[in-house]
Amino acid sequence: MAQRLPTPAGIDGSRLPGPYGVGHYAARLRDYLRERSRVQLFGEVWNLRVSRVKVYFELRDADGALPCSIWRTDFDALRLGEGALADGSQVVVGGGLDYYVGSRTSSPAFSFAVAGLRVAGEGDLLAQLDRLRKALDAEGLFEPQKRLVLPALPRTIGVVTGEGGKARDDVLAGLHRRGWSGRLVWAFAPVQDRHAAPAITRAVQDLAATGEVDVIVVARGGGSLADLFCFCDETLCRTIALLGVPVIASVGHHTDRTLIDDVAALSCSTPTHAAESAVAVHCAQARQELLLIGRRLGVHGRRAAVARPAVVAAARRLGVHGRRALLQRAQTLARLSRAPGEHVARERARLHQDLREMRASGRRRLAGERARIARRALVLDRKARSAALEARRAPGLQALAMALAAHDPARTLERGYVLVTDRADEPVTTAAAARAAGAVSLRFGDAAVDATITGDDEHT
Amino acid sequence: MSTPDEPLSYEAATARLEAIIKRLDSGEAGLRETLELCKEGRTLVELCAAELEAVGQGLEELHLDELVARLEAGAGQS
Repeated sequence: MAQRLPTPAGIDGSRLPGPYGVGHYAARLRDYLRERSRVQLFGEVWNLRVSRVKVYFELRDADGALPCSIWRTDFDALRLGEGALADGSQVVVGGGLDYYVGSRTSSPAFSFAVAGLRVAGEGDLLAQLDRLRKALDAEGLFEPQKRLVLPALPRTIGVVTGEGGKARDDVLAGLHRRGWSGRLVWAFAPVQDRHAAPAITRAVQDLAATGEVDVIVVARGGGSLADLFCFCDETLCRTIALLGVPVIASVGHHTDRTLIDDVAALSCSTPTHAAESAVAVHCAQARQELLLIGRRLGVHGRRAAVARPAVVAAARRLGVHGRRALLQRAQTLARLSRAPGEHVARERARLHQDLREMRASGRRRLAGERARIARRALVLDRKARSAALEARRAPGLQALAMALAAHDPARTLERGYVLVTDRADEPVTTAAAARAAGAVSLRFGDAAVDATITGDDEHT
Repeated sequence: MSTPDEPLSYEAATARLEAIIKRLDSGEAGLRETLELCKEGRTLVELCAAELEAVGQGLEELHLDELVARLEAGAGQS
Protein backbone atom coordinates (compact mmCIF):
# COMPACT_ATOMS: atom_id res chain seq x y z
CA MET A 1 0.00 0.00 0.00
CA ALA A 2 1.13 3.49 -0.75
CA GLN A 3 2.05 5.46 2.32
CA ARG A 4 -0.41 8.20 3.19
CA LEU A 5 1.00 11.73 3.26
CA PRO A 6 0.74 13.59 6.59
CA THR A 7 -2.05 16.21 6.48
CA PRO A 8 -0.52 19.66 5.85
CA ALA A 9 -1.74 22.97 7.20
CA GLY A 10 -4.52 24.73 5.30
CA ILE A 11 -4.33 27.99 3.27
CA ASP A 12 -3.95 31.01 5.44
CA GLY A 13 -7.20 32.87 5.83
CA SER A 14 -9.29 30.25 4.07
CA ARG A 15 -12.65 29.41 5.58
CA LEU A 16 -13.13 26.27 3.51
CA PRO A 17 -13.07 22.95 5.36
CA GLY A 18 -10.14 20.63 4.96
CA PRO A 19 -7.60 19.98 3.69
CA TYR A 20 -8.71 16.37 2.90
CA GLY A 21 -6.77 13.71 1.09
CA VAL A 22 -7.65 13.91 -2.64
CA GLY A 23 -8.16 10.17 -2.99
CA HIS A 24 -10.70 10.25 -0.21
CA TYR A 25 -12.50 13.16 -1.87
CA ALA A 26 -12.40 11.47 -5.32
CA ALA A 27 -13.95 8.34 -3.85
CA ARG A 28 -16.70 10.44 -2.32
CA LEU A 29 -17.25 12.17 -5.67
CA ARG A 30 -17.48 8.76 -7.42
CA ASP A 31 -20.05 7.60 -4.86
CA TYR A 32 -21.99 10.81 -5.29
CA LEU A 33 -22.05 10.53 -9.09
CA ARG A 34 -23.03 6.89 -8.96
CA GLU A 35 -26.06 7.84 -6.87
CA ARG A 36 -27.38 10.06 -9.70
CA SER A 37 -30.35 8.73 -11.65
CA ARG A 38 -29.59 6.29 -14.40
CA VAL A 39 -30.94 7.56 -17.73
CA GLN A 40 -31.03 7.09 -21.50
CA LEU A 41 -29.27 9.70 -23.65
CA PHE A 42 -29.03 10.18 -27.41
CA GLY A 43 -26.48 11.93 -29.55
CA GLU A 44 -23.70 11.32 -32.06
CA VAL A 45 -20.68 9.20 -31.42
CA TRP A 46 -17.33 10.92 -31.98
CA ASN A 47 -13.74 9.98 -31.23
CA LEU A 48 -14.50 6.31 -30.85
CA ARG A 49 -11.51 4.50 -29.31
CA VAL A 50 -11.46 0.79 -28.61
CA SER A 51 -9.01 -0.40 -25.95
CA ARG A 52 -8.42 -3.84 -24.45
CA VAL A 53 -10.83 -3.45 -21.55
CA LYS A 54 -12.98 -0.47 -22.42
CA VAL A 55 -14.44 1.35 -25.41
CA TYR A 56 -14.41 5.16 -25.17
CA PHE A 57 -16.30 7.74 -27.17
CA GLU A 58 -17.91 11.14 -26.87
CA LEU A 59 -21.61 11.64 -27.20
CA ARG A 60 -22.28 14.99 -28.84
CA ASP A 61 -25.07 17.15 -30.09
CA ALA A 62 -25.34 20.84 -30.95
CA ASP A 63 -25.68 21.85 -27.27
CA GLY A 64 -22.99 19.85 -25.59
CA ALA A 65 -21.06 16.63 -25.16
CA LEU A 66 -20.35 13.91 -22.59
CA PRO A 67 -17.47 11.44 -22.41
CA CYS A 68 -18.75 7.86 -22.42
CA SER A 69 -17.23 4.47 -21.80
CA ILE A 70 -18.46 0.91 -22.00
CA TRP A 71 -16.79 -2.26 -20.81
CA ARG A 72 -15.25 -4.11 -23.77
CA THR A 73 -17.14 -7.29 -22.80
CA ASP A 74 -20.48 -5.41 -22.83
CA PHE A 75 -19.55 -3.71 -26.12
CA ASP A 76 -18.66 -7.04 -27.79
CA ALA A 77 -21.92 -8.53 -26.47
CA LEU A 78 -23.83 -5.92 -28.51
CA ARG A 79 -22.58 -7.75 -31.62
CA LEU A 80 -22.55 -4.58 -33.70
CA GLY A 81 -21.38 -5.23 -37.24
CA GLU A 82 -18.05 -3.94 -38.54
CA GLY A 83 -18.29 -0.19 -38.98
CA ALA A 84 -21.81 0.02 -37.55
CA LEU A 85 -20.53 2.30 -34.82
CA ALA A 86 -18.29 5.02 -36.19
CA ASP A 87 -17.72 8.72 -35.82
CA GLY A 88 -21.00 10.44 -36.56
CA SER A 89 -23.21 7.47 -35.72
CA GLN A 90 -26.35 8.44 -33.88
CA VAL A 91 -26.91 6.27 -30.83
CA VAL A 92 -29.09 5.90 -27.77
CA VAL A 93 -27.16 4.89 -24.65
CA GLY A 94 -28.44 3.78 -21.26
CA GLY A 95 -26.40 4.06 -18.04
CA GLY A 96 -25.25 6.43 -15.36
CA LEU A 97 -22.46 8.75 -14.29
CA ASP A 98 -19.25 7.25 -13.02
CA TYR A 99 -15.86 8.45 -11.95
CA TYR A 100 -12.59 6.60 -12.08
CA VAL A 101 -10.70 7.96 -9.12
CA GLY A 102 -7.26 7.15 -10.51
CA SER A 103 -4.18 6.92 -8.29
CA ARG A 104 -0.72 8.35 -7.82
CA THR A 105 0.30 6.56 -11.06
CA SER A 106 -2.91 6.75 -13.15
CA SER A 107 -5.08 9.62 -14.34
CA PRO A 108 -8.64 10.01 -13.11
CA ALA A 109 -11.46 9.96 -15.63
CA PHE A 110 -15.04 11.08 -15.64
CA SER A 111 -17.44 9.29 -17.91
CA PHE A 112 -20.99 8.23 -18.48
CA ALA A 113 -20.86 4.49 -17.93
CA VAL A 114 -22.82 2.93 -20.74
CA ALA A 115 -24.62 -0.26 -19.87
CA GLY A 116 -26.76 -0.51 -23.02
CA LEU A 117 -26.46 0.97 -26.51
CA ARG A 118 -28.57 1.10 -29.68
CA VAL A 119 -27.42 2.53 -33.01
CA ALA A 120 -30.17 4.95 -34.06
CA GLY A 121 -28.93 5.89 -37.49
CA GLU A 122 -26.41 7.95 -39.34
CA GLY A 123 -25.34 11.03 -37.51
CA ASP A 124 -26.67 14.45 -38.38
CA LEU A 125 -23.17 15.72 -39.18
CA LEU A 126 -22.48 12.90 -41.62
CA ALA A 127 -25.94 13.27 -43.18
CA GLN A 128 -25.33 16.98 -43.53
CA LEU A 129 -21.92 16.31 -45.03
CA ASP A 130 -23.43 13.84 -47.46
CA ARG A 131 -26.09 16.32 -48.58
CA LEU A 132 -23.48 19.03 -49.12
CA ARG A 133 -21.20 16.68 -51.02
CA LYS A 134 -24.01 15.72 -53.37
CA ALA A 135 -25.00 19.37 -53.86
CA LEU A 136 -21.44 20.47 -54.71
CA ASP A 137 -20.99 17.50 -57.00
CA ALA A 138 -24.28 18.29 -58.78
CA GLU A 139 -23.03 21.83 -59.36
CA GLY A 140 -19.88 20.39 -60.93
CA LEU A 141 -17.65 21.96 -58.29
CA PHE A 142 -15.43 18.89 -57.97
CA GLU A 143 -14.15 19.44 -61.50
CA PRO A 144 -12.64 22.96 -61.91
CA GLN A 145 -9.59 22.28 -59.74
CA LYS A 146 -8.93 18.98 -61.51
CA ARG A 147 -8.72 20.87 -64.78
CA LEU A 148 -5.95 23.15 -63.51
CA VAL A 149 -2.45 22.09 -64.45
CA LEU A 150 -0.25 21.28 -61.47
CA PRO A 151 3.16 22.76 -62.34
CA ALA A 152 5.92 20.16 -62.23
CA LEU A 153 8.41 22.68 -60.87
CA PRO A 154 6.71 25.54 -59.01
CA ARG A 155 8.83 28.54 -58.07
CA THR A 156 6.59 29.62 -55.20
CA ILE A 157 4.49 27.33 -53.01
CA GLY A 158 1.85 28.58 -50.57
CA VAL A 159 1.08 26.50 -47.49
CA VAL A 160 -1.98 26.87 -45.25
CA THR A 161 -1.54 25.06 -41.96
CA GLY A 162 -1.57 25.43 -38.18
CA GLU A 163 1.33 27.49 -36.95
CA GLY A 164 2.51 25.09 -34.30
CA GLY A 165 1.41 21.86 -35.94
CA LYS A 166 3.55 18.93 -36.99
CA ALA A 167 2.21 19.40 -40.52
CA ARG A 168 4.58 22.32 -40.98
CA ASP A 169 7.64 20.15 -40.44
CA ASP A 170 6.20 17.43 -42.62
CA VAL A 171 5.75 19.87 -45.52
CA LEU A 172 9.36 21.04 -45.14
CA ALA A 173 10.55 17.42 -45.04
CA GLY A 174 8.66 16.64 -48.25
CA LEU A 175 10.11 19.64 -50.08
CA HIS A 176 13.61 18.79 -48.82
CA ARG A 177 13.19 15.26 -50.13
CA ARG A 178 12.48 16.73 -53.60
CA GLY A 179 15.60 18.87 -53.39
CA TRP A 180 13.38 21.89 -53.87
CA SER A 181 14.50 25.16 -52.33
CA GLY A 182 12.37 27.85 -53.90
CA ARG A 183 10.13 30.36 -52.20
CA LEU A 184 7.74 29.09 -49.54
CA VAL A 185 4.91 31.31 -48.34
CA TRP A 186 3.30 30.32 -45.04
CA ALA A 187 -0.30 31.28 -44.32
CA PHE A 188 -1.02 30.13 -40.80
CA ALA A 189 -4.59 29.51 -39.67
CA PRO A 190 -6.34 27.59 -36.91
CA VAL A 191 -7.21 24.18 -38.27
CA GLN A 192 -9.64 22.77 -35.73
CA ASP A 193 -12.16 25.01 -34.00
CA ARG A 194 -15.15 26.89 -35.30
CA HIS A 195 -12.97 29.82 -36.37
CA ALA A 196 -10.92 27.53 -38.57
CA ALA A 197 -13.02 27.40 -41.73
CA PRO A 198 -13.30 31.19 -42.29
CA ALA A 199 -9.59 31.65 -41.48
CA ILE A 200 -8.51 28.89 -43.88
CA THR A 201 -10.80 30.32 -46.57
CA ARG A 202 -9.24 33.75 -46.16
CA ALA A 203 -5.70 32.35 -46.19
CA VAL A 204 -6.31 30.45 -49.42
CA GLN A 205 -7.91 33.48 -51.05
CA ASP A 206 -5.10 35.81 -49.97
CA LEU A 207 -2.39 33.44 -51.21
CA ALA A 208 -4.06 33.20 -54.62
CA ALA A 209 -4.62 36.95 -54.74
CA THR A 210 -0.87 37.66 -54.54
CA GLY A 211 -0.54 36.16 -58.02
CA GLU A 212 2.88 34.87 -56.95
CA VAL A 213 1.93 31.42 -55.79
CA ASP A 214 2.02 28.52 -58.29
CA VAL A 215 0.36 25.94 -56.03
CA ILE A 216 -1.25 25.93 -52.57
CA VAL A 217 -0.96 23.11 -50.03
CA VAL A 218 -3.63 22.94 -47.29
CA ALA A 219 -2.22 20.66 -44.61
CA ARG A 220 -3.23 19.38 -41.23
CA GLY A 221 -2.11 16.42 -39.17
CA GLY A 222 -4.47 13.56 -38.34
CA GLY A 223 -7.62 13.87 -36.30
CA SER A 224 -11.16 12.64 -35.99
CA LEU A 225 -13.73 13.63 -38.56
CA ALA A 226 -15.23 15.97 -35.96
CA ASP A 227 -11.89 17.75 -35.64
CA LEU A 228 -11.57 17.98 -39.39
CA PHE A 229 -15.10 19.18 -39.90
CA CYS A 230 -13.89 22.69 -40.70
CA PHE A 231 -12.49 21.24 -43.93
CA CYS A 232 -16.03 20.34 -44.93
CA ASP A 233 -17.16 23.94 -44.67
CA GLU A 234 -19.30 24.93 -47.62
CA THR A 235 -17.81 28.40 -48.14
CA LEU A 236 -14.25 27.06 -47.94
CA CYS A 237 -15.01 24.29 -50.43
CA ARG A 238 -16.77 26.62 -52.88
CA THR A 239 -13.86 29.08 -52.64
CA ILE A 240 -11.29 26.40 -53.39
CA ALA A 241 -13.37 24.92 -56.20
CA LEU A 242 -13.38 28.24 -58.05
CA LEU A 243 -9.79 29.22 -57.23
CA GLY A 244 -7.44 29.81 -60.16
CA VAL A 245 -4.48 28.28 -58.33
CA PRO A 246 -4.33 24.48 -57.89
CA VAL A 247 -4.84 23.33 -54.30
CA ILE A 248 -3.39 20.14 -52.84
CA ALA A 249 -5.31 19.01 -49.77
CA SER A 250 -3.81 16.96 -47.01
CA VAL A 251 -5.97 16.89 -43.92
CA GLY A 252 -4.71 13.54 -42.74
CA HIS A 253 -7.72 11.33 -42.26
CA HIS A 254 -7.57 7.75 -43.31
CA THR A 255 -11.16 6.60 -43.20
CA ASP A 256 -13.28 9.60 -44.10
CA ARG A 257 -12.98 12.05 -46.92
CA THR A 258 -13.53 15.66 -46.07
CA LEU A 259 -15.14 17.85 -48.71
CA ILE A 260 -11.87 19.69 -49.36
CA ASP A 261 -10.48 16.36 -50.57
CA ASP A 262 -13.23 16.28 -53.19
CA VAL A 263 -12.92 19.84 -54.49
CA ALA A 264 -9.11 20.11 -54.43
CA ALA A 265 -6.96 19.44 -57.48
CA LEU A 266 -5.28 16.63 -55.56
CA SER A 267 -5.86 14.92 -52.21
CA CYS A 268 -2.94 13.42 -50.32
CA SER A 269 -2.86 11.30 -47.18
CA THR A 270 -0.02 13.17 -45.45
CA PRO A 271 1.48 16.68 -45.55
CA THR A 272 4.80 15.15 -46.62
CA HIS A 273 3.12 13.47 -49.54
CA ALA A 274 1.32 16.73 -50.39
CA ALA A 275 4.63 18.61 -50.49
CA GLU A 276 6.15 15.94 -52.73
CA SER A 277 3.13 16.16 -55.01
CA ALA A 278 3.50 19.94 -55.20
CA VAL A 279 6.99 19.42 -56.68
CA ALA A 280 6.66 16.52 -59.12
CA VAL A 281 10.29 16.90 -60.20
CA HIS A 282 13.13 15.49 -58.18
CA CYS A 283 15.38 18.50 -58.63
CA ALA A 284 18.82 16.87 -58.25
CA GLN A 285 17.80 14.01 -60.52
CA ALA A 286 16.36 16.46 -63.07
CA ARG A 287 19.64 18.39 -63.13
CA GLN A 288 21.51 15.16 -63.81
CA GLU A 289 19.09 14.17 -66.56
CA LEU A 290 19.33 17.60 -68.14
CA LEU A 291 23.09 17.26 -68.22
CA LEU A 292 22.76 13.93 -70.04
CA ILE A 293 20.26 15.38 -72.50
CA GLY A 294 22.62 18.28 -73.18
CA ARG A 295 25.43 15.80 -73.81
CA ARG A 296 23.31 13.73 -76.20
CA LEU A 297 22.27 16.86 -78.08
CA GLY A 298 25.95 17.74 -78.33
CA VAL A 299 26.75 14.31 -79.80
CA HIS A 300 23.97 14.61 -82.37
CA GLY A 301 24.98 18.18 -83.16
CA ARG A 302 28.64 17.25 -83.67
CA ARG A 303 27.68 14.27 -85.79
CA ALA A 304 25.56 16.55 -87.93
CA ALA A 305 28.38 19.11 -88.17
CA VAL A 306 30.80 16.40 -89.28
CA ALA A 307 28.22 15.17 -91.74
CA ARG A 308 27.88 18.61 -93.28
CA PRO A 309 31.16 18.65 -95.39
CA ALA A 310 30.50 15.06 -96.38
CA VAL A 311 27.05 16.10 -97.49
CA VAL A 312 28.46 19.02 -99.46
CA ALA A 313 30.81 16.59 -101.21
CA ALA A 314 27.92 14.23 -101.75
CA ALA A 315 25.90 17.10 -103.15
CA ARG A 316 28.76 17.90 -105.52
CA ARG A 317 28.95 14.27 -106.57
CA LEU A 318 25.21 14.32 -107.00
CA GLY A 319 25.65 17.39 -109.24
CA VAL A 320 28.15 15.52 -111.38
CA HIS A 321 25.84 12.54 -111.51
CA GLY A 322 23.02 14.86 -112.36
CA ARG A 323 24.86 16.45 -115.23
CA ARG A 324 25.91 13.05 -116.49
CA ALA A 325 22.38 11.82 -116.24
CA LEU A 326 21.16 14.92 -118.05
CA LEU A 327 23.64 14.36 -120.87
CA GLN A 328 22.67 10.73 -121.14
CA ARG A 329 19.08 11.66 -121.27
CA ALA A 330 19.70 14.29 -123.95
CA GLN A 331 21.58 11.73 -125.94
CA THR A 332 18.77 9.25 -125.58
CA LEU A 333 16.27 11.89 -126.60
CA ALA A 334 18.35 12.85 -129.63
CA ARG A 335 18.63 9.20 -130.52
CA LEU A 336 14.92 8.80 -130.13
CA SER A 337 14.26 11.90 -132.21
CA ARG A 338 16.46 10.48 -134.95
CA ALA A 339 14.79 7.12 -134.78
CA PRO A 340 11.81 7.83 -137.09
CA GLY A 341 14.17 9.11 -139.83
CA GLU A 342 16.45 6.14 -139.37
CA HIS A 343 13.47 3.84 -139.39
CA VAL A 344 12.27 5.32 -142.65
CA ALA A 345 15.76 5.02 -144.11
CA ARG A 346 15.98 1.43 -142.95
CA GLU A 347 12.58 0.69 -144.42
CA ARG A 348 13.64 2.37 -147.64
CA ALA A 349 16.79 0.26 -147.85
CA ARG A 350 14.78 -2.85 -147.07
CA LEU A 351 12.29 -2.01 -149.80
CA HIS A 352 15.10 -1.37 -152.23
CA GLN A 353 16.59 -4.69 -151.32
CA ASP A 354 13.18 -6.36 -151.81
CA LEU A 355 12.87 -4.61 -155.11
CA ARG A 356 16.29 -5.72 -156.20
CA GLU A 357 15.54 -9.26 -155.12
CA MET A 358 12.22 -9.13 -156.97
CA ARG A 359 13.97 -7.80 -160.04
CA ALA A 360 16.62 -10.45 -159.84
CA SER A 361 13.94 -13.03 -159.30
CA GLY A 362 11.99 -11.57 -162.23
CA ARG A 363 15.12 -11.67 -164.39
CA ARG A 364 15.82 -15.22 -163.36
CA ARG A 365 12.27 -16.24 -164.08
CA LEU A 366 12.25 -14.30 -167.36
CA ALA A 367 15.55 -15.80 -168.37
CA GLY A 368 14.24 -19.22 -167.43
CA GLU A 369 11.05 -18.59 -169.31
CA ARG A 370 12.97 -17.29 -172.28
CA ALA A 371 15.20 -20.34 -172.30
CA ARG A 372 12.22 -22.59 -171.85
CA ILE A 373 10.38 -20.78 -174.63
CA ALA A 374 13.47 -20.84 -176.78
CA ARG A 375 13.75 -24.55 -176.21
CA ARG A 376 10.11 -24.99 -176.89
CA ALA A 377 10.47 -22.70 -179.94
CA LEU A 378 13.39 -24.76 -181.11
CA VAL A 379 11.43 -27.91 -180.51
CA LEU A 380 8.40 -26.38 -182.09
CA ASP A 381 10.47 -24.93 -184.91
CA ARG A 382 11.80 -28.33 -185.56
CA LYS A 383 8.39 -29.67 -185.22
CA ALA A 384 7.14 -26.88 -187.44
CA ARG A 385 9.66 -27.61 -190.01
CA SER A 386 8.92 -31.26 -189.85
CA ALA A 387 5.29 -30.29 -189.74
CA ALA A 388 5.77 -28.11 -192.78
CA LEU A 389 7.22 -31.08 -194.35
CA GLU A 390 4.33 -32.97 -193.14
CA ALA A 391 2.01 -30.11 -194.13
CA ARG A 392 2.63 -30.86 -197.44
CA ARG A 393 1.49 -34.14 -196.42
CA ALA A 394 -1.01 -32.87 -193.83
CA PRO A 395 -2.43 -29.28 -193.73
CA GLY A 396 -3.09 -29.48 -189.87
CA LEU A 397 0.52 -28.51 -189.04
CA GLN A 398 0.09 -24.97 -190.29
CA ALA A 399 -2.54 -24.35 -187.68
CA LEU A 400 -0.22 -25.59 -184.96
CA ALA A 401 2.57 -23.29 -186.11
CA MET A 402 0.25 -20.32 -185.96
CA ALA A 403 -0.80 -21.17 -182.46
CA LEU A 404 2.83 -21.42 -181.47
CA ALA A 405 3.65 -18.08 -183.02
CA ALA A 406 0.93 -16.50 -180.97
CA HIS A 407 3.03 -17.30 -177.79
CA ASP A 408 6.17 -15.65 -179.14
CA PRO A 409 6.87 -12.32 -177.40
CA ALA A 410 8.09 -11.00 -180.66
CA ARG A 411 4.63 -11.44 -181.85
CA THR A 412 3.29 -9.23 -179.11
CA LEU A 413 5.74 -6.49 -180.12
CA GLU A 414 4.64 -6.92 -183.60
CA ARG A 415 1.17 -6.11 -182.42
CA GLY A 416 2.40 -2.66 -181.27
CA TYR A 417 3.42 -3.33 -177.62
CA VAL A 418 6.75 -2.03 -176.36
CA LEU A 419 9.20 -3.80 -174.01
CA VAL A 420 11.07 -1.38 -171.76
CA THR A 421 14.49 -2.45 -170.47
CA ASP A 422 17.12 -0.72 -168.44
CA ARG A 423 20.80 -0.49 -169.19
CA ALA A 424 21.32 -3.97 -167.92
CA ASP A 425 18.69 -5.09 -170.34
CA GLU A 426 16.37 -5.94 -167.53
CA PRO A 427 12.70 -5.35 -168.20
CA VAL A 428 11.31 -2.24 -166.60
CA THR A 429 7.76 -2.96 -165.62
CA THR A 430 6.72 -0.02 -163.45
CA ALA A 431 6.80 3.74 -163.69
CA ALA A 432 8.77 3.91 -160.46
CA ALA A 433 11.37 1.52 -161.83
CA ALA A 434 11.51 3.59 -164.99
CA ARG A 435 12.09 6.77 -162.96
CA ALA A 436 14.68 4.96 -160.93
CA ALA A 437 16.45 3.65 -164.01
CA GLY A 438 16.54 7.10 -165.64
CA ALA A 439 17.73 5.82 -169.05
CA VAL A 440 15.86 2.96 -170.66
CA SER A 441 15.66 1.13 -173.91
CA LEU A 442 12.34 0.79 -175.77
CA ARG A 443 12.10 -2.31 -177.78
CA PHE A 444 9.55 -2.07 -180.56
CA GLY A 445 8.60 -4.81 -182.89
CA ASP A 446 11.09 -3.69 -185.47
CA ALA A 447 13.96 -2.25 -183.40
CA ALA A 448 15.01 -0.77 -180.03
CA VAL A 449 15.51 2.94 -179.23
CA ASP A 450 17.11 4.52 -176.14
CA ALA A 451 15.00 6.88 -174.08
CA THR A 452 15.50 9.10 -170.96
CA ILE A 453 12.88 9.35 -168.28
CA THR A 454 12.27 12.99 -167.35
CA GLY A 455 9.93 14.55 -164.76
CA ASP A 456 8.47 13.00 -161.60
CA ASP A 457 4.85 13.53 -162.48
CA GLU A 458 2.73 10.53 -162.23
CA HIS A 459 0.11 9.99 -164.90
CA THR A 460 -2.63 7.60 -164.52
CA MET B 1 1.92 25.84 -78.85
CA SER B 2 3.46 28.53 -76.74
CA THR B 3 3.65 32.16 -77.65
CA PRO B 4 6.36 34.64 -76.68
CA ASP B 5 3.92 36.10 -74.12
CA GLU B 6 3.47 32.72 -72.48
CA PRO B 7 6.84 31.11 -71.77
CA LEU B 8 7.08 27.36 -72.07
CA SER B 9 6.48 25.57 -68.75
CA TYR B 10 9.15 23.27 -67.35
CA GLU B 11 7.06 20.17 -68.03
CA ALA B 12 6.27 21.29 -71.58
CA ALA B 13 9.97 21.96 -72.19
CA THR B 14 11.03 18.56 -70.84
CA ALA B 15 8.31 16.83 -72.85
CA ARG B 16 9.53 18.54 -76.02
CA LEU B 17 13.13 17.64 -75.15
CA GLU B 18 12.15 13.98 -74.81
CA ALA B 19 10.46 14.11 -78.20
CA ILE B 20 13.54 15.72 -79.74
CA ILE B 21 15.91 13.12 -78.30
CA LYS B 22 13.59 10.33 -79.46
CA ARG B 23 13.53 11.78 -82.97
CA LEU B 24 17.30 12.20 -83.07
CA ASP B 25 17.91 8.69 -81.72
CA SER B 26 15.59 7.23 -84.35
CA GLY B 27 18.13 8.31 -86.98
CA GLU B 28 15.29 9.27 -89.28
CA ALA B 29 15.92 12.99 -89.11
CA GLY B 30 17.79 14.46 -92.04
CA LEU B 31 20.82 16.72 -91.67
CA ARG B 32 18.86 19.97 -91.76
CA GLU B 33 16.28 18.65 -89.26
CA THR B 34 19.03 17.29 -86.97
CA LEU B 35 20.75 20.67 -86.84
CA GLU B 36 17.47 22.45 -86.18
CA LEU B 37 16.46 19.95 -83.46
CA CYS B 38 19.85 20.31 -81.76
CA LYS B 39 19.47 24.07 -81.78
CA GLU B 40 15.95 23.91 -80.34
CA GLY B 41 17.08 21.29 -77.81
CA ARG B 42 19.92 23.47 -76.53
CA THR B 43 17.50 26.36 -76.02
CA LEU B 44 15.15 24.08 -74.08
CA VAL B 45 17.97 22.66 -71.94
CA GLU B 46 18.95 26.22 -71.04
CA LEU B 47 15.34 27.03 -70.17
CA CYS B 48 14.98 23.95 -67.93
CA ALA B 49 18.35 24.59 -66.31
CA ALA B 50 17.26 28.14 -65.52
CA GLU B 51 14.03 26.84 -63.94
CA LEU B 52 15.95 24.32 -61.81
CA GLU B 53 18.44 27.01 -60.89
CA ALA B 54 15.56 29.22 -59.70
CA VAL B 55 14.47 26.61 -57.14
CA GLY B 56 17.98 25.59 -56.12
CA GLN B 57 19.21 28.81 -54.57
CA GLY B 58 18.22 27.93 -51.00
CA LEU B 59 14.78 27.81 -49.42
CA GLU B 60 13.23 31.22 -48.86
CA GLU B 61 10.53 31.09 -46.21
CA LEU B 62 8.25 34.03 -45.66
CA HIS B 63 4.89 34.71 -44.17
CA LEU B 64 1.95 35.66 -46.35
CA ASP B 65 1.86 39.10 -44.71
CA GLU B 66 5.52 39.68 -45.63
CA LEU B 67 4.87 38.70 -49.22
CA VAL B 68 1.88 41.02 -49.42
CA ALA B 69 3.90 43.87 -47.86
CA ARG B 70 6.73 43.25 -50.29
CA LEU B 71 4.34 43.25 -53.25
CA GLU B 72 2.69 46.43 -52.06
CA ALA B 73 6.09 48.09 -51.62
CA GLY B 74 7.04 46.96 -55.12
CA ALA B 75 3.78 48.31 -56.52
CA GLY B 76 4.38 51.62 -54.74
CA GLN B 77 7.84 51.98 -56.25
CA SER B 78 6.76 51.32 -59.80
